[in-house]
Amino acid sequence: MKLLKKGAEADIYITSWNGQNSVLKIRKKKDYRVHSLDTRIRTLRTIREAKMLSEAKSFGITTPLVYFVDEKKCKIYLQFIEGKLIRDLPAKKIIKTCKEIGKIVGLLHKNGVMHGDLTTSNFILSQKGLVILDFGLSQKTDKIDDYAIDLRLFKEVLNSAHAQIVDDAWTLFIQGYRKILGKNITEKIINQVLVIEKRGRYANVI
Amino acid sequence: MLSLGIESTAHTFSCAVIEKKGKQGKILSDIRKIYRPPEGEGIHPREASRHHAENSPQVLSECLRKANVKISDLDIVSYAAGPGLGPCLRIGAVVARSLSSYYDIPIYPVNHALGHIELGKMLTGAKDPLVLLVSGGHTMILAFLSKKWRVFGETLDITLGQLLDQIGRYAGFASPCGPKIEELASKSKEYLPLPYVVKGNDVSFSGLLSATKRIIPKGIEATCFSLQETAFSMMGEATERALSFTGKKELLVVGGVAANKRLSDILSSICKRHGCKFFVAPKEYAGDCGSQISWVGLLESSKKIGTNLGDTFVKQSWRLDTVEVLY
Repeated sequence: MKLLKKGAEADIYITSWNGQNSVLKIRKKKDYRVHSLDTRIRTLRTIREAKMLSEAKSFGITTPLVYFVDEKKCKIYLQFIEGKLIRDLPAKKIIKTCKEIGKIVGLLHKNGVMHGDLTTSNFILSQKGLVILDFGLSQKTDKIDDYAIDLRLFKEVLNSAHAQIVDDAWTLFIQGYRKILGKNITEKIINQVLVIEKRGRYANVI
Repeated sequence: MLSLGIESTAHTFSCAVIEKKGKQGKILSDIRKIYRPPEGEGIHPREASRHHAENSPQVLSECLRKANVKISDLDIVSYAAGPGLGPCLRIGAVVARSLSSYYDIPIYPVNHALGHIELGKMLTGAKDPLVLLVSGGHTMILAFLSKKWRVFGETLDITLGQLLDQIGRYAGFASPCGPKIEELASKSKEYLPLPYVVKGNDVSFSGLLSATKRIIPKGIEATCFSLQETAFSMMGEATERALSFTGKKELLVVGGVAANKRLSDILSSICKRHGCKFFVAPKEYAGDCGSQISWVGLLESSKKIGTNLGDTFVKQSWRLDTVEVLY
């Protein structure tokens, strides 16, 4: 078993599952959190992630296969996806991919799921296309506000980590998103994003 | 170069003189007067500004005396122009403008949040950190990228300082309530379940505030313990996410809540896990002070020669991520 990445929430290992190349995601105990709170969070997110990864497939979205879940130890065995994180692609390529990301997010929202952690490091560009990961913070919801929170987070990530390309990337993202959800709903959600931004500290309120 | 900095964004009125030689800064004096509202109440902007106006002459002269400088020795004057409470900001601005016009000293309006970060960097020696700014006015996770501090995560509603203060006031403590809550929390190990809201790199405290108010009857010590554990764990997770996303190798914590021991314990354990250096602003300079304003003034003076007196406004809502950093 080889450590691939120490993420914020979980450690990611490369291993095998019944002869298949596999990724093992373990949500390890966090010593800084009170035990009961920590267990609650880790178990909930492990179960939620496994469920949503499978459910998202029925919307026509590519996610890694779930091989096995151990909710007691907060472990998930997933299909290994060969490819590159969007975050690490060259700027031009990121802009191009944003349209596809917009479509995927649109599909999730269309089916009543918010992802909860839309960053450029949660998408992999593989040979078979774009794959979305990390559903630990996802939620079933039909609230416009929740969908807008997803969009705002993605915008925040572009704004901070990809500041040079934010305008182009965001425009293409919205294009892809609009393709799936249609003009009316998209406008509504974008307006809600502005409302949420205004809630921010010292946003331009007069 | 000698700089006078004036801070008056909220409950603190402070003047500080810093001397800059090359890249080094030395704090010659930092005098503060803090407005204390009655127990169970928060800052009343008018009363606070009155307090500042009454105390400003004394704070200023004591600051100059302690630094052993005359006004005519000063090379620049800077003041906190925002974000903050309007009436309070105007007091500091008036003092700065008066000095600037009467003695003909270049004047610099400074962003208060930027002051927290730059002073923290100067005092701890952090080079390129991910910054966690936690105070009564801010809860933000930031990193510097092409001329601006970019927000990687922030609160979607109230700040961490507000959360602690509002619970404290509800329980009848005197503001600021952080130290009292920390003390009570250290007496309990009983965790009562509270809502835990992390959305990506962002956090939300408003639901936690209401829920915490409801559990106070179960015991104030357990309440304080549970509140701190929940809120700080949320902050820890959001920071950890930003750390892992940006791959930064330093973490710097600044702002009033940086003085909390439990919070810095949590953050330093996260840093250990990610192999990154942990810096926390010294307790004395974590909260609002004139030094933070004075130091940014000095940094800016290396790139521009003061601001036209006619443009020295105060801006109550002045987001840090709109400030262009030239130095």
